[in-house]
Amino acid sequence: MPFQRLIPSLLIHEGRLVKGRNFRDLRDAGLPHTTARAHNHQGADELLVCDIDASRDGLAPQSQIIKSVAAECHMPLCVAGGIRGRDEASVIMDAGADKICLTTTALDNPELVSDLAHQYGSQAVVIGVDVIKDQSGDYCLYDHRSGATVPDRNPLDWMSTAVDMGAGEVRLMAVDREGTLEGYDLDLYREARDRVQVPIILEGGAGTLNHVEDAFEAGVDGIGVGAMLVFSDANLVKIKQHLITAGKNVRR
Amino acid sequence: MTEVGIVDYGAGNIASVENILSYIGAETIRVATPEQIQSCERLILPGVGAAGQAVDRLRSSGLDQALHEAVLDRGVPFLGICLGMQLLADKLHEFGEHDGLGWIPGSVVHLSEAVGERCQVPHTGWSSVCGVSNSPVIKAGLSQRSEFYFSHSFVFRPAREADVAATFDYHGSLVAAVGRENIIATQFHPEKSQIAGQRLLEEFLDWSP
Repeated sequence: MPFQRLIPSLLIHEGRLVKGRNFRDLRDAGLPHTTARAHNHQGADELLVCDIDASRDGLAPQSQIIKSVAAECHMPLCVAGGIRGRDEASVIMDAGADKICLTTTALDNPELVSDLAHQYGSQAVVIGVDVIKDQSGDYCLYDHRSGATVPDRNPLDWMSTAVDMGAGEVRLMAVDREGTLEGYDLDLYREARDRVQVPIILEGGAGTLNHVEDAFEAGVDGIGVGAMLVFSDANLVKIKQHLITAGKNVRR
Repeated sequence: MTEVGIVDYGAGNIASVENILSYIGAETIRVATPEQIQSCERLILPGVGAAGQAVDRLRSSGLDQALHEAVLDRGVPFLGICLGMQLLADKLHEFGEHDGLGWIPGSVVHLSEAVGERCQVPHTGWSSVCGVSNSPVIKAGLSQRSEFYFSHSFVFRPAREADVAATFDYHGSLVAAVGRENIIATQFHPEKSQIAGQRLLEEFLDWSP
């Protein structure tokens, strides 16, 4: 088995990094390329960058910012946000991304998954699945553009469909945990694990070293870490040291 | 340092390779025509994506002949990365069968066929690499750290044991690098493997096979 991955997750808004809670209440979190450089030096296994202006407002991907981040990434870079077709994908890949993550644009147009997988290979196409629990505690698919759940579409069915169509990795986001520092939704991960044979990156809720350790123990292929790196005293060196001491399958 | 030609045949991750080479102080040039290849003293063939399309592009542009002449006839040091490694095989079995460059005898097969069991495909992430030849490039890569980043659904099965330069473990031992004489090629991505990849690339830039 490859090492389980620690993946800092960065949001870009108006040229700056931001971090929010449940996809709202954005706070400033620094400059993209300097933060990418720090994560590279601290041994991040990968970096995920989401361009939320492109995603929410339909703006073109900010290729200059992606270029500046890619230049600092001596590890894989996955870019998400507003990839509606081959044009946006090619701007992002040419800027130095290794993978593209499709979330709402794939919901609108599922063929986009197979189209981009055919062009760049499955290993370059990640399907983002945003999940939220409804009042009865059932997992629902969430559309951040409307701020509402997507009716009549089961999130894990959709995830399996997208993988069948060629997505080579899943980014599974528990929206109601995002930015809360309350811990990962490991039940969600376990339900998803049985459904697909591609790596699953779990995100949403990391707040303490124990949360990260618990996710590694549960067997995740990778975890996205956002708010914890921005608004706590944890950094990647500290997290890795904790995981190594706990005997986890983490790259030194 | 000498100028390094990065073969641009429309099959991805050129910017990543340029980024890291510029970081370690190398001068690079994108080469997209047979004429440009003739003037290169060192060559890198990167690549991600579909094998069939990549083979067609190398052939239709005449780059395959120019690479043959530079690497096999003139002995220019050559590094293949990921798909750029798999293209060296005789046959690639990826959505049909394609003829590779045939520099390293062997075939490229799907991971599930190679390991003979159900496994996660693609193999994405960092895995430990074990050097099994005297390749100075591989040895340098492994000098500080042994973990490299992989991202692939197919794997190279060389016909000759002697061409295997490194292995990794994924439901069994698979080939992480092949090489002979002035050719070295890796399944993993040195340009995305932080310090281990940098050491490997630095050695490749100094390598005089």
